[in-house]
Amino acid sequence: MNKYSVINTHVHNVDGIAKVTGRAIYTFDVKLPGMLYGKILRSPHPHAKILNIDYSKALELPGVIGVVTGKDTLGVKQGIWRRYQDLCDEQILTVDKVRYIGEPVAAVAALTEELAEKALDLIDVQYEVLPAVYEPLDAIKKEAPELHAGFERNINVTRHIEWGDVEGAFEEAEYIREDWFKCGGQAHMCMETRAAVSSYTPDGKLTVYHSSQSPYYMQGLLAGVLGLKEGNIRVISHYVGGGFGGKFELDAALFCSAVLSMKLHRPVKIVFTREEDFIATKRRTPMSYYVRTGVKKDGTFCAREAKVFTNGGAYTGMGATALYLTGFFHSFPYRWKGYRYDGYRVYTNTLPSTSMRGFGAPQAMFCSEQQIEWIAADLGLDPIEMRRKNAHYPGYVVPDQATIASCGIDQCFDVVQKWIKEKGKLPENRAIGVSAAGFMSGGIFNWFDTPYSFSSAVVTINYDGTVELYVGAQDIGQGSNTTLAIICAEALGVRVEDIKVHSGDTEHCPADLGAWGSRQTLMAGNAVKMAAEDAKKQLLEVAYAQSGFNIIYDLDIKNRWVHAIARPERGYDYGDLVKKAIRGKDGQRIIGRGYYTPHRKGMISPAYSYMMQAVEVEIDKETGKIKLVDSLTAHDCGQPINRLGLIGQLEGAFSMAAGYGYLEYMPYEDGKLMNPNLVDYKVMRATDMPAVPVAEIDTYEPEGPYGAKEAGEGLTNPTAAAIGNAIFHALGVQIKECPIRPEMVVNALREKEERERK
Amino acid sequence: MQGEGGFGEMEKQLLKLKVNGQEYELYINPKTLLVEVIRDHIGLTGTKRGCETVSCGACTVMVDDMAVKSCAVLAVQVEGRHVTTVEGLEKNGKLAPIQKAFLDQGAYQCGFCTPGMLMSCEALLKETKTPTKEEVREGIEGNICRCTGYNSIVRAVEAVAKGNYREG
Amino acid sequence: MIHDFTYLKPGSLQEALVMLAEHKDDCKIICGGQSLLIVMRQGMLVTDYLIDIKGLNELSYIIYDKKEGLKIGATTTHRIIEKSELVKDKCPILVEVEKKVASIQIRNWGSIAGNLAHGDAQAGDLAPSLIALGGKVKLASSRGDRVMPLEEFYTGFFENAMKNDELMVEVQVPPIRPRVGSVYTKFNLIGNDQGIVGVATTIEVGHDSTCKDARIVLGNSGVTPIRAKNAERVLMGKKLGDQLLAEAGEAAASEADPVSDIHASEEYRRHLVRVLTERMVGQAWEKAICAG
Repeated sequence: MNKYSVINTHVHNVDGIAKVTGRAIYTFDVKLPGMLYGKILRSPHPHAKILNIDYSKALELPGVIGVVTGKDTLGVKQGIWRRYQDLCDEQILTVDKVRYIGEPVAAVAALTEELAEKALDLIDVQYEVLPAVYEPLDAIKKEAPELHAGFERNINVTRHIEWGDVEGAFEEAEYIREDWFKCGGQAHMCMETRAAVSSYTPDGKLTVYHSSQSPYYMQGLLAGVLGLKEGNIRVISHYVGGGFGGKFELDAALFCSAVLSMKLHRPVKIVFTREEDFIATKRRTPMSYYVRTGVKKDGTFCAREAKVFTNGGAYTGMGATALYLTGFFHSFPYRWKGYRYDGYRVYTNTLPSTSMRGFGAPQAMFCSEQQIEWIAADLGLDPIEMRRKNAHYPGYVVPDQATIASCGIDQCFDVVQKWIKEKGKLPENRAIGVSAAGFMSGGIFNWFDTPYSFSSAVVTINYDGTVELYVGAQDIGQGSNTTLAIICAEALGVRVEDIKVHSGDTEHCPADLGAWGSRQTLMAGNAVKMAAEDAKKQLLEVAYAQSGFNIIYDLDIKNRWVHAIARPERGYDYGDLVKKAIRGKDGQRIIGRGYYTPHRKGMISPAYSYMMQAVEVEIDKETGKIKLVDSLTAHDCGQPINRLGLIGQLEGAFSMAAGYGYLEYMPYEDGKLMNPNLVDYKVMRATDMPAVPVAEIDTYEPEGPYGAKEAGEGLTNPTAAAIGNAIFHALGVQIKECPIRPEMVVNALREKEERERK
Repeated sequence: MQGEGGFGEMEKQLLKLKVNGQEYELYINPKTLLVEVIRDHIGLTGTKRGCETVSCGACTVMVDDMAVKSCAVLAVQVEGRHVTTVEGLEKNGKLAPIQKAFLDQGAYQCGFCTPGMLMSCEALLKETKTPTKEEVREGIEGNICRCTGYNSIVRAVEAVAKGNYREG
Repeated sequence: MIHDFTYLKPGSLQEALVMLAEHKDDCKIICGGQSLLIVMRQGMLVTDYLIDIKGLNELSYIIYDKKEGLKIGATTTHRIIEKSELVKDKCPILVEVEKKVASIQIRNWGSIAGNLAHGDAQAGDLAPSLIALGGKVKLASSRGDRVMPLEEFYTGFFENAMKNDELMVEVQVPPIRPRVGSVYTKFNLIGNDQGIVGVATTIEVGHDSTCKDARIVLGNSGVTPIRAKNAERVLMGKKLGDQLLAEAGEAAASEADPVSDIHASEEYRRHLVRVLTERMVGQAWEKAICAG
């Protein structure tokens, strides 16, 4: 019995009509009067000094309007970790040297895209090529070339997490296992490539259209690099063709189009080709993991120690956060007596790595959940019961790190066990692999150094009862507009159809940190709930005054029906109340405001989601070909809010996570990406997807709006490990590198058979 | 039809095109792709582009009711044929069954692949009234979606094939 | 960006051949353009003249001749072949292979001759399959016609035997004899992706089920499709058996000439050739026995 009118019901996505009729205008589609087309000239070298850039010939080409280089910028080294100046290390149009193949060195604006491209060939750049380094373990050597002054051994960031008596806990252990893993990178591969249109006008104002996950961040970052006031920058992101963690930093499309527009005083549009998107937009962080785990023979977890080197690429980006979160979630969802994580992010002359859906946790789980499965097998224990024995529970305190409020992991184990049992004996060549995981609902650490509340919302009620909801939260396809409309409708007591969501425009919307870290349902949701309740309170004041009820009675609005809670059958239409209330306020619309910043919840996250996933894999022993046949995900996201959105996020996360597990190979050779196109970079297609049924576990998160937690990223965490575990059960091979490719399986099987023969 | 080499202007030629039931007369360089005519010359921006290798399917339109990737078709080749884009699915503001099914199933998220996806689904249903699950998945195999994991799209097509959106 | 070209649209095959003869030194033929436009867009192919034969309906046909077999016009799309009842009846393996080509959108617009003439040995499904069927191609020019086995058509990496004034106008598949089985498979990672390797096999058996004739063609295993003649010789006159299949697989693996790239090492490709050849020979053989 659903106790809510709107929450967790079947609601159409509020942007649906625009999207299914082709009316939605993405930055990709924006056309402004007098607009020029920009293209970026990129470095062919992984490491080089720029000696000279001569673009005189390019300017002679008819139709070419202007060229910019680093000399046309303020030369600001920027970064999204604004609180730490030394991590702000990236000049997007670099002034002195290039540090990765594909780094922008110049940008051209011309009347057509074709002319801009022709102009690139006419720009002559003189480089002094420097020695380059591509792997973290090479970059930390004494003799390695230095990428950034002041970063000894190219170590960009380090992170250390420790609790308990680690050595003592290892001594208690009766079985210890250590393994080395290698986790690959991954491309966000948003359907809409990076795109921006910048328009600088003579009044000193800059308007940009940007395919972005956070218009507010873009506003702040642009102000920093262009020397403009935040208030003179307007960022518009009405419709965004995917983000997945790659679009909340300043990118070259936005920066170069803005610099060009400021120089030429005309709008400039830059859209990346798919190839540019592959070679020059930051990727998921490749990581090398050393994991040592000690347990008792009965499966009780004692100690874990992990040492991780991440390939940071040429700049910091969001890499510092990924470095922390991978180490933190590597402990999830289990209790450890002693836990130690040491993470090192290393600069190399490759594409910078940054956040991508899961934020370091998919890598962490690939290593942890596989090793745990192998330990269970080594000890002859049931792998799910062993996990259950050590799992988090509501109220558990991760020492010095976080307090877990709601936690449904135990129920997740039950659901998965039941599913596996019902499957019974599987056909030959098939096996099931499982993986547990947990994730955050937004981050607390204020590395952006914002002075604003993390989320804000304004609710305005019109005379006809329709509601304007202003949020800074950004819809990038995950359905936040709809989720927030649902929360607003529930809190205010109206229907989703009554709500019009305003988002994606810094001119009209409050500041919000944007769509990353799975923060919006909880954080923006709380802000929206507060704003809607504020507005409702103002309406009910009028209703109370009118009703003359005894003080002990409460009024409420539900489904547009104003009523006493004790006597729901007696009431009247919300629309009538609105009219009266506006008259009561001197003809002013009812305005409610709300905001949310997590307080006293530690430094990581206000709430944590939990899940367990089982994947059934069919494997061809001879060729190593992997096919995903079925799956089940038991999922605790607290109270589901947007039912259609939730299912979509789960299924979508699965396809991306499975891609990370067995398809999306991203090889580099001497700093060059070998497959920057959709022929050679493999993503899941419709024929590769199995069913992805989900079992929602019922919990209530006190910090979340109506008890809700995240459902966007957590599900990207378990799948690679689950696939690895299925292969382990099918063939007895332990694959320590992802993505797991058929050739690796065949080789592992051959090695195993050779070992057994001896 | 002769043109100078280098950066000289290629002489344009007349192209008569029927898109969504509407006749258009355009002067284009013969190397212009159908997707460029649709988006830039006619101005229908529903159809998108997502790659340079004819891989992603975001540019899918129908030519004579066949699904075709408009980035891999020279516009001059569709003279005399009937092109349908996503904007041509609705009739007088009434959504087509497949569009309604997409809304009901939440078969889109960021929406960028959606116009091309809808055209592949529409073409599939025009050709096969009751496709099997396999046939539905094969029908959209040429379209990449990074957001949905495809299963909701399959559900939408099946719902239409089942007759849930029949008129009357 | 695609470089400018002069666009020529012949109204008939004759006109096309005249144009070809006139511009033979710098022209390209386009039909569906599903392969051509990609390389043109990357600037890898520049041409002064582009002759568009997509509109030549006289070249879009599927007919069957009792002596010469299935005859498919050059501009016939993959999809038409895939859905053809005639092809399903006379050469069902061709329908199966067409279904494996790329995606429906590409099959709706791309033509069989375009695919074969482009000659992407790293990605093609049709060339190895048709060679295994003894397929032929008819090449026309203003000087006359000639028919050649597809097996002789490919001369090198993206190179073929056509003279620069010739046009592929027809693909022929000889009539399938009784007690013949044909199969094709490719190994890929996802869906209908281009193959990492592919193997096409046709086996003809005698009344005693011994192998009377064999064609094993390796796709994506060299700069052109490769007929694994040593593997075929292993089978001749023998009875089907596991040991025989293993031998044939080994022979085919050593005849392959695969590259090493990011998708697979040379060693793994040879391994796949061995495994797939074993499987395809076995399956074709069983099909042949059943067809008897």
